[in-house]
Amino acid sequence: MTRLRLGLALLALLAAGALAAPAVAAWLGVDPELPDLLALQAAPSAAHPLGTDELGRDILVRLLLGARVSLAVGLAAALASTAIGLAAGLLAAWRGGWVDAALMRLADGLLALPSLPLLVLLAAMDPAAIGLPRGGAAADVLRIVLILALFGWVGVARLARAAALSVLARDHVRAARALGVSEARLLRRHVAPALAAPLTVAGSLAVAGAILAESTLSFLGLGIQPPAASWGNMLANAQTLVFSAPLAALWPGLAIALAVAGAMLVADGLREAQR
Amino acid sequence: MLRIVAGRLPQIAVTLALLSLAAYLAIGAMPGDPISLALMADPRLGPADVARMRALHGLDQPLLARWWAWATGVLRGEFGYSRLFARPAAEVLWPALRGSLVLLGTALALAAALGVAAGMLAALRPRWRGAVDAVALLSQALPAFWLGILLIILFAVTLGWLPAGGAPEGEGLAEALRFLVLPVATLAIAHLAAYARHTAASMAEVLQAPWITAARARGNPESRIALRHALPNAAVPLLSLLALDAGSLVSGALITETVFARPGMGKLLTDAVMGNDHNLALLALLLVAATTLLATLAADLAQRALDPRLA
Amino acid sequence: MQMATPGRPAMAALALLAALAAPAAARSQGTPRDTLTIGISQATGTFHPNIESMAAKSYILGFARRPLTGHGPDWLPLCLACDAFPTLENGGVAHDTTPDGKPGMRVTWRLRDSLRWGDGRPVTADDLRFAWEAGRAFETGFGGAEFYRSAYEFLSDGPRSVTLRFDRATFDAGSADNFEPLPAHIDRPIWEADRRNYRSRTAYDTDTTNPALWNGPYRVTAVQPGAGVTLERNEAWAGPAPAFRRINIRVVENSAALEAQLLAGQVDMVAGELGFSLDQAIALERRARNRFRVEYRPGLTWEHLDLRLDNPVLADRRVRQALMMAIDRPRIIASLFDNRQPVAATAIHPDDPMLDKSLAPWPFDPARAAALLEEAGWRPGPDGIRRNADGARLALDLQTTAGNRSRETVLQVIQGQWRAAGVEARIANQPPRVLFGETLSQRRFGGAVLFAWISSPENVPRSTLHSDEIPTAERNWSGQNYPGYRNPEMDALLEALPRELDAGKRRPMWARLQALTHQDLPALPLWHRADAHVWPQWIDGIRPTGNMSPSSLWVTDWRVR
Repeated sequence: MTRLRLGLALLALLAAGALAAPAVAAWLGVDPELPDLLALQAAPSAAHPLGTDELGRDILVRLLLGARVSLAVGLAAALASTAIGLAAGLLAAWRGGWVDAALMRLADGLLALPSLPLLVLLAAMDPAAIGLPRGGAAADVLRIVLILALFGWVGVARLARAAALSVLARDHVRAARALGVSEARLLRRHVAPALAAPLTVAGSLAVAGAILAESTLSFLGLGIQPPAASWGNMLANAQTLVFSAPLAALWPGLAIALAVAGAMLVADGLREAQR
Repeated sequence: MLRIVAGRLPQIAVTLALLSLAAYLAIGAMPGDPISLALMADPRLGPADVARMRALHGLDQPLLARWWAWATGVLRGEFGYSRLFARPAAEVLWPALRGSLVLLGTALALAAALGVAAGMLAALRPRWRGAVDAVALLSQALPAFWLGILLIILFAVTLGWLPAGGAPEGEGLAEALRFLVLPVATLAIAHLAAYARHTAASMAEVLQAPWITAARARGNPESRIALRHALPNAAVPLLSLLALDAGSLVSGALITETVFARPGMGKLLTDAVMGNDHNLALLALLLVAATTLLATLAADLAQRALDPRLA
Repeated sequence: MQMATPGRPAMAALALLAALAAPAAARSQGTPRDTLTIGISQATGTFHPNIESMAAKSYILGFARRPLTGHGPDWLPLCLACDAFPTLENGGVAHDTTPDGKPGMRVTWRLRDSLRWGDGRPVTADDLRFAWEAGRAFETGFGGAEFYRSAYEFLSDGPRSVTLRFDRATFDAGSADNFEPLPAHIDRPIWEADRRNYRSRTAYDTDTTNPALWNGPYRVTAVQPGAGVTLERNEAWAGPAPAFRRINIRVVENSAALEAQLLAGQVDMVAGELGFSLDQAIALERRARNRFRVEYRPGLTWEHLDLRLDNPVLADRRVRQALMMAIDRPRIIASLFDNRQPVAATAIHPDDPMLDKSLAPWPFDPARAAALLEEAGWRPGPDGIRRNADGARLALDLQTTAGNRSRETVLQVIQGQWRAAGVEARIANQPPRVLFGETLSQRRFGGAVLFAWISSPENVPRSTLHSDEIPTAERNWSGQNYPGYRNPEMDALLEALPRELDAGKRRPMWARLQALTHQDLPALPLWHRADAHVWPQWIDGIRPTGNMSPSSLWVTDWRVR
């Protein structure tokens, strides 16, 4: 239980920081997106507690704003993957037959593909071509979430399918089915409770994976576009100048590590609680 | 057993064919083909030049027809030329594949060995559990490129002990190993956690089993119980993890390869995909997909063999 | 208790690490300096000199083969494989008439006597005849098709003499461009056997280490595709001997990794042609001044913002001028680039012989910018962004290549400076292949795009400014006039300039051309980018050119101090 608490506390702390970003910016009196050419890479001071980045912007405030984007990407991608995976897994278990076979072969195929080159390929596609807006942080987040969900659902689908199959194979469920209990009721009373536990674990792991994936896409220049801040793009930017300003690379790296660790602690804690 | 293989192989073949089609179309659908990029580079190309260049590169054909021509060529054993490297695709693939096999083979072996050891430690010595968990957590939470750069700064730039990356210039195993240390460490740290967690979980489960208690009752020493009785059984779930990693042996590690400037499949695949190099990209993708699918099949078979309940 | 403690493998790994960790410094000092390792940031594809143009290939080939002509560090045209640069004055260039009676030219290059392929065979007119024939056959797929279209006849009166007849008279006829000797005794049979597939069958790519392909001071002795090239002295080279027995070229695409390899001593120098971004080199110089020399050379890379002139907002010249004066270029250059590159007045480089020196760059003048915007009907709105009479906001897209950190940085500064002037810029960066392959080349951008053109000295900018060069679907998207600039006077100038052979008469035409782009601003000039060349303290004699001829062409001048 302690792990669950520790993980939740970490994530709550980061989320609180994210929410407080505008307040902190106002209190420090800085504009997190406006470059200040007179204060490039400034050392930490009262005005800039963590110093400024290569464009003279306050690192602390950008870190807090980046938390919004990075956590949003993590949560949204996890939710989307879980939702798609749940639907696919249930469908496969419920219908069986060729639906099951087709969905599981699709899952095998996706698992067999190297995900990173394909993430790069998808990230290079024109979002306007499939009706997504171009430009702006919100559009970037949406694009990245979609890409991550496209690969992320597979693991969840397999979990959901296995859990649902084991429930459906139980005697009392088979009896209930034979007695003509409605499918919806079966789903609600028997299947859903059995799925909740593994899915929450998978979901929190997906949050961690998505936060890391966002930083990787940023490293490749395909993440959230400037001037919006995300931990990934802050880290990728700082990495070029890492020898002259190592601290600028340290903070976003630590933030990512904390968030990922938080999500994984939650997953661990949930798993422990199920035992 | 044979029936399972006979049933799965055709499925794998169909999956591969569909994957190649999907990948071909996806690469073709990316904006900006080689000719449009050539237009930027050479201001003297006129409209007629463009039309002839498209015809010359076969870009005036529909994507499906191009995929079909490619697929029939592959069935005849012709993988075509790499557009980016101006060499036969298979010839470009080998050095990268070798690089990835060496790098990831070493890293994964190290990760599996250390991970399993750490997992056992956690399961057998509860007082170590917290430390193992913490290390596993940390190793999974660090972004790979960040860790890679930190290792380079410390060991290559500041201390000057190890090369910062690249390929060995001299001959000899020792030289090759020197260049392997940092990238292998970066990768092994990232992969170690999964093995540690899985081992710890399944060891803990196995150690509760009645036949372990029975073995203890027979007076077997604790070390023998752990290594001879518990570990083989706890290793069964690790097989599927290994199977998935077999894919990454071949698909490489893009970030680590980039940061350490080592030739490898991750970089090759990404460059090929981004550079509209259909022949190279598809050859590499199919190789990776086939390896993973076959490794998964092998892991299934091994699990059935080891665990009578699944047979 | 006999259990194998998991601590042991870890200890073993540490011991192994310690054993392998021989000090790097001792290694680099132990060997005499007969090897030079150069880091570059781009991988090479084909090694054929005429197929595809890439900076990395051009740099590597500079060590290993001589083109006919080039431009020196002083930007004057010169001979590299010939005896004297052909001009009207020395008789190398002569007026001529084409078979259908149009004015043309004939240009004669005399090959340097001592030039040999690596297998000892002399470079002769046959090698150039092969290059010309292959270039003229379209299916070969050489770049620079226009040159081969124009050069309609090949003549030779001896193994060292080559004459081409051109169907037009131009002032730069003596420059042979990409036309250079190719080893006919190796590649001609391959080409004749299958012209369409010559691109992939050429010995340059199937047998790259064949000495017979190389006629420069070095020859390629090993290729690691995508990772590097090894060059060794070419025994057949008759010119001054180069200082290094071997030159290793290492490709490190990630710039932080490249810097790490330089600092760790694995790479001796980083090529300016394709190495560090300027800001990275400046930061490096601040910290490691005693280990490396950094030379900054403003090159022919012109960073600018192309404006979409059919956008109603940008169609108004006053708005374009206001946008120009709202950008504080001197401050950006001072803060981000340590004053290492010059503010651009127009696309013409400060070292170009045809620069109009009387034309000053637009100043940073927020007051005049504001006045011009008011005049154009854009008044300050409640949120600080200007609005016109219809209430529309003064907003436009601002794009550059995603992943190019230096440009992304500049773009954000410009966004901030425009916001101060009441202009909202929405940044929407794209990966290079999308931006260059589609957004720009098919004119799908709506506002401003930051990118660079690379040109050569006295290069007539027809493809970027002539109204015939506006890309359209009907023209297969050829042409580079992405802004959509139309000006009959400019069109006439661009047509007349190449045909005017008298430099004195070209000068006023060039001045007028510069004045027009300066006033009309189809593109906002930013600066001419400086390349940062990073050398170790112990090397001398490298001269960055800043033009299309890479510094590697003069490798025989490089010396160990």
